[in-house]
Amino acid sequence: MAAKSKWLALGLIMTLLLTLISACSSGNGEPKPTKEASSQPEPTSQPSEEPAKAEPVEITWWNFPSYQTLDGEVGKYEKEIIKAFNEKHPEIKVKLEMITFDGGPQKLNVAIATNSAPDVIYDAPGRIIDWGKKELLAPLDDMITSEVRGDISPALWKQSMVGDKTYMYPINTAPFMMAVNKTVFEKIGKLDLLPLDRPDRTWTFEEYKLALQAVKENAPDVIPSGFFAKSQAGDQGTRAYLANLGVSRFLNEDNSAVAINTDEAAAALDWIVQAQKDKLVVGGSSSLAAGDVNDLFLQGKLAFTINYSAVLKAQNVPNKKAEFEEVLLPFPTLDGSPPKLEPYLGGMAIFNNGNDAKIAAAKKLIDFIANDPEWGRKNLIQTGGLSARSSITGLYDDAEYEYAELARQFITDPPTIADGFAEIRTFWFPELQRALLGAVSGKEALDAFAAKANEAIGKAKAQS
Amino acid sequence: MLSSIIRVKRYVWRDWLMSYLFLLPAMGFFLLFVAYPMLKGVYISFFNYTLSQFDFVGLANYKHLFQDETFIKSMRNTVMIVIIAVPVVISFSIFVAMTIYRKSEWLRSLFRGIFYLPAVSSVVSITVVWASIYHPNYGILNYITGFFGAEPIAWLGEPRTALLSIILVLITTSVGQPIILYVASLGNIPASYIEAAQIDRASSGQIFRKIIWPMLMPTNLYIIVITTINSFQVFAIIQLLTSGGPMYETSTVMYGVYEQAFMLGSFGLASAMGVILAIVIGIISIIQFKYLGSDVEY
Repeated sequence: MAAKSKWLALGLIMTLLLTLISACSSGNGEPKPTKEASSQPEPTSQPSEEPAKAEPVEITWWNFPSYQTLDGEVGKYEKEIIKAFNEKHPEIKVKLEMITFDGGPQKLNVAIATNSAPDVIYDAPGRIIDWGKKELLAPLDDMITSEVRGDISPALWKQSMVGDKTYMYPINTAPFMMAVNKTVFEKIGKLDLLPLDRPDRTWTFEEYKLALQAVKENAPDVIPSGFFAKSQAGDQGTRAYLANLGVSRFLNEDNSAVAINTDEAAAALDWIVQAQKDKLVVGGSSSLAAGDVNDLFLQGKLAFTINYSAVLKAQNVPNKKAEFEEVLLPFPTLDGSPPKLEPYLGGMAIFNNGNDAKIAAAKKLIDFIANDPEWGRKNLIQTGGLSARSSITGLYDDAEYEYAELARQFITDPPTIADGFAEIRTFWFPELQRALLGAVSGKEALDAFAAKANEAIGKAKAQS
Repeated sequence: MLSSIIRVKRYVWRDWLMSYLFLLPAMGFFLLFVAYPMLKGVYISFFNYTLSQFDFVGLANYKHLFQDETFIKSMRNTVMIVIIAVPVVISFSIFVAMTIYRKSEWLRSLFRGIFYLPAVSSVVSITVVWASIYHPNYGILNYITGFFGAEPIAWLGEPRTALLSIILVLITTSVGQPIILYVASLGNIPASYIEAAQIDRASSGQIFRKIIWPMLMPTNLYIIVITTINSFQVFAIIQLLTSGGPMYETSTVMYGVYEQAFMLGSFGLASAMGVILAIVIGIISIIQFKYLGSDVEY
C-alpha cells in the first residue's frame, strides 16, 4: 500500500514537472531581428483584405495609459473599444494588456528580445521609430489612404516613418509647453506680467524673469518655477525649455549632431543654476523628477511648470490637490522669436511577429480606433489630445484646448527619431546635474553632452 | 542466499532511485530557473545582444566595461555601500539584540516587530516614504535640520550626501532579519556560561568577546554573507530615489545592469556586468566562509 502511494506521488510529481518543462519550452531563442513582412501588398486605400472568409484570429494589444480611465479603472475604456470593435469584427479576438509608463518600456524590451512582442501597441515615436529602424515592425503604408496622408502635417509624418515606410499610424497630438498657475498671479495682482492678452501667448525671457521675480516677492509660499534632472523621464521639458530660452535647437536639422551647445543655450543653463540659488527655481532640482515638479504644481506650490500639455492637463485632473486655474503657455524665447515646441504624438504600430493574419487583424483594429465614424472621435477625446489630422478640430469646448490648437503652429520636429536617441538621452540629465551642482559651467556641460551624444549618433548610424 | 542478496540489492536500488526521483522536481526547478539562466547569462555576455543583433564579440563587452568610467564608478559605489552598510548592519543588529534579549517577552516581541517591519514591508512603499523625508523643499529632514539653523539640503541631489542617504535607507531595511536571528542566537547561549564568567569576575567586554561572540559565529557567518550579497545587489532603492544620480554618484552595478538591459536593450553588456558582479560576490563570499567559517562553533 505504502509502495503504491509512493509511486502515485511520484507519478503526480513527474506529471507536474513535465507540464512545467513543456510550458517553459516555447522556443524562445535569440532574436530573429530582420523579419520583413513576408508579403507586402501594394498600397491601397483600404486595410488589407480579410484572410479567407473571416478566419478567427487572436491578437495581443499592449497599451500604455493612453486613454483617460473610465470610473478610475485602468483598461476599462480600452475594453469598451474592443467590445465595439468585436461587433464589427467578431472573428478577431483582442487580448488587452495594460502596461505602465514606468515598467512598460522595460517589459517591451524583454518581450522583443525573447520573441514575445505584442501584435499591436499604442505608443510614441521615440520607441516606435527605433523599432522601425530595427525592422521589428510591419509597415502600415497599405492602410493609409491618400486622404489621411494629405491631412496630417509632414512634421508628424516625419516622426512616423523610417525612410519611405510608415511604421506608426499617427492618432493624437499636442504640443509640449509650460503651464502657469494663473490664480497665483491674480492673487498678487500681477496678471499683466503674463502674456495672456496676446492671442498666441508668446513672450520673452526677460518678461518671464519679471514674472518669476514677482512671484518670489509677493507670494513667499509659492516657488516661482520648476526644473528637474533626476532622470530621463520628461526630458522633453528640459530640452525645449533650454532650447527656447537660448534660441537653439536640440539637434541639427537632419538629426546628425547636437546643436544645443551654443553660447546662448549655455547662458540659459547658467541662468537656471543661478536662479536656483536665488530661489526663482525650485531647489534641489538635480534630485527632482518631472513628475515631482508637476506634483508641486498640482499642489499649488509652484507657479510655473515646464513639462505640460493639453493631454497632461486632462490626465492630471484627478491628481490636482489645490483649487487653481492652470493655463498653458509657450516657452519664452531669448529674443521674442516664435517658440519651438516639441509635439507629443501618439499612434499605433504593429510588430511583425511573422503572422500575416495577425498583421491584417491588427490593421483593422488600428483603423477602427483611428477612423471609425463613431469611435474615432470618441477615442481622441478620451486621450485628452488633439487629432493628428489637421481637418479634425473643435473636439473640446475649452479655452486651453483652443489655445493648444493654435499653438500647433509652433510645433517643431523633435529629436526623438534621431539615430541612437535612446542612448543620447542617457547623457542629457547627468550633464544637467553637473551644471546644477556647480561642478561645471553651462557651456562645459552642454559641450560634454554634445561630445557623448554625437558619438552615440555616429555609432547608431554605423550600425543601421 | 543469492535470491536474498538480489532482493536487498533491488530494494537498495529502488530506494536510491526513488530518492533521486523525488529530488527531481526541485532539481528541475533549480536547473530551469537558476542554473540555466545563469549559464545563459554567461553565454550572452560574449555577444553583442540587442533588440536586433546577436553577434559573437568575445571579450569585447568585458573590455568595454573595464574602460567605461561609469561602470568603474558604479563598481566603486557598490563596494562603498558594502563597506559601510555591512559593518553598520551587523553592529547595530548585535547592539539591539544584546539590549533587548534579556527584556521581558512582551518588550522583545515589540522591538523585534518594530525592527522587522521594514523587512516585511514593500521596498517601494518604504522608499516612497524616504523620498518624502529627503525632499529638498518639503522633506521632514530639512525641516528638522532647519530648527538648528541649517540650510535645506538636497539629500539625494548632492554628491556628498546622496550615497550616504541611500546607505541609510538600505540599513533600515536590512537590520530586521539580523536582529531576529541574533536575539534567537543569544537566547540559545547557556546562561551557565555567562554566570560562570561573572563568578570569575569577567567584565562585560570580556564576556562578549570570549563567550558571546564565539557562540554567535554561525549566525554571524550567515548574516555577514547574506547582508554582503544584499548590499551588492541593492537596486530598487536606487532606482526609485536617485536613478543613479547625481552625476552617477549613486549608480551601482545592479542599477547599471538594469539600465543597459531594460532601458537601452544591450543585453550582452548587461550580462557581462552581471557576470563581473557575480564573480566579485563569489570571491568575497569564499573569503568570508574561509575566515569566518573556521571559527564557527556548532
